[in-house]
Amino acid sequence: MLEALVLATVFCGFFGIIFKKNLIMKIVCMDVMSTGVIAYYVVVASRSGWLTPIISKGKNVAYADPVPQAVILTAIVIGFSIQALMLVSVMKLARDNPTLESNEIEMNNTP
Amino acid sequence: MNTLTIAWIGLPFFVGFSIYLIPKLDKYLAIFGAIASAAYAFQLFAMPSAVTLELLDNFSVTLLVDRLSGYFILTNALVTAAVIIYCWPTDKTAFFYAQILMVHGSLNAAFASTDFISLYVGLEVSGIAAFLLIAYARTDRSIWVALRYLFISNTAMLFYLVGAVLVYKASHSFSFAGLGAAPPEAIALIFMGLLVKGGVFVSGLWLPLTHSESETPVSALLSGIVVKAGVYPLVRCALMVEEVAPIVQIFGVGAAFMGVFYGIFEKDTKRMLAFSTVSQLGWILVAPEVGGFYALAHGLVKSALFLIAGSLPSRDFKELQQKQINTTLWIALVVASLSISGFPFLVGFGAKMLTLKNLTPAYAIAMNVAAVGTAILFAKFIFLPRGGEAKKSKPGFWPAVLLLLGGLIAANAFDVQAYTLENMLKAIAIIGVGWLAYFLIFQRTAIKLPRMLEQFDHLVGFMSLISLLLFWMALPK
Repeated sequence: MLEALVLATVFCGFFGIIFKKNLIMKIVCMDVMSTGVIAYYVVVASRSGWLTPIISKGKNVAYADPVPQAVILTAIVIGFSIQALMLVSVMKLARDNPTLESNEIEMNNTP
Repeated sequence: MNTLTIAWIGLPFFVGFSIYLIPKLDKYLAIFGAIASAAYAFQLFAMPSAVTLELLDNFSVTLLVDRLSGYFILTNALVTAAVIIYCWPTDKTAFFYAQILMVHGSLNAAFASTDFISLYVGLEVSGIAAFLLIAYARTDRSIWVALRYLFISNTAMLFYLVGAVLVYKASHSFSFAGLGAAPPEAIALIFMGLLVKGGVFVSGLWLPLTHSESETPVSALLSGIVVKAGVYPLVRCALMVEEVAPIVQIFGVGAAFMGVFYGIFEKDTKRMLAFSTVSQLGWILVAPEVGGFYALAHGLVKSALFLIAGSLPSRDFKELQQKQINTTLWIALVVASLSISGFPFLVGFGAKMLTLKNLTPAYAIAMNVAAVGTAILFAKFIFLPRGGEAKKSKPGFWPAVLLLLGGLIAANAFDVQAYTLENMLKAIAIIGVGWLAYFLIFQRTAIKLPRMLEQFDHLVGFMSLISLLLFWMALPK
């Protein structure tokens, strides 16, 4: 169930990228998609348990798998920096294409 | 060797960031980074066996460097060095050189890693640095082209990440070897990401605009080496996991034909070169065992061609046929074109013959046809009128091109067995047929292929189609 919802988020983002006309909306949709992917990693990590994986003297409890969580941290950072770069370039593009419709920008800038 | 490998991966980043601290030394530091990689690659060729590194445990970073990665690393070093030399006398800022080293370093990391997450990091960092290089001119067009590139590759990499976690779910490790036990959807998603990143087959239709609208040195860098970061993991997966090898090969053949088909009808030099890149990437994929050598041959020749095309008086073939180009420039152009068509005594010949030798008969026939197509493509360059007066070329141009062309001849040493009489006759026959077809048919055709499929929305839409196709191909029979 949780998995299905997460994958639905990914697809929502993906179709948004295709169907939204505005460049900012496309970037936001990409962010939705990457949120879905990150959530999917967390879901996969929680298959073995829910608790934070910290070694302690206490009794043996069901820990979450730390590896996917650690890995997705890198992806979050990369995704965020890419997002920032994209938004900066959209700001530059907005000066000459104030409506930011992607097909307009594409038409103006393809030979 | 282990310490050396880790130091070598870190070095370009370290040197690259030092450029920001000491901007006066930018060029020297940049060329130092490239030379260090070349030295490391030769070290690899001298080693008897592969170096395998497993940091921490089986679910973390795994690295593997052997002769195959050696070829890719050497290509990376030579192309980067040539681009830096080309830019030497220009007034490019320290930022530009730092980004070149970032691309260089992240590609090195991608060529050494055998787990999906290190590869992801390498590919994304190379994507960001390439974005900054494409947008270096800061014009509206360059920013749009760069944004489109980053958007497409990042969307593809998101699918790739989902594939990577599916591999982890199946085998508790991100290593390439886990692909064998992974479900078909994992293979479909990961390969789709890599095909887009590498610009292979239909997923590679973003490539012509990006590579043709960038500045000359950036185009050379992108076409010479950056796309190979997406191709190398496909080759490595095909070698490590037998089940996926046929998928990689079929896409290789498809890419080889698609690139040639589009290229033949192209009227613009740089776009034609970009389509030829799509086709040549197919050659690398079709024979994974010897793909490294082909990547070296293609990387050298394609960056040389892009640098030369930047010095031609026009980008339009029709205009070029009216003008006479300088004979010295023409000779360089012909040497490069002959190498990529597979003419003996240049490395393209050895690479083509080695690839053809490693194929099953059915694939070999198809690739011979594709080779004829390449000869037709480059006949367009070879039969341009020559004899024009020397236009003052950029001061960095000749050293860079001579380095690459020298590499084309010197790299023959990797494969001397290819020089049999039979092979040479075959190569000349392929080129002859290609030129004949050029004169009889293609010189006069004026068909303009529609560019609709290169639109942004279609590029994203094709990702879903390609992953469906891959899913169907990866289903256990």
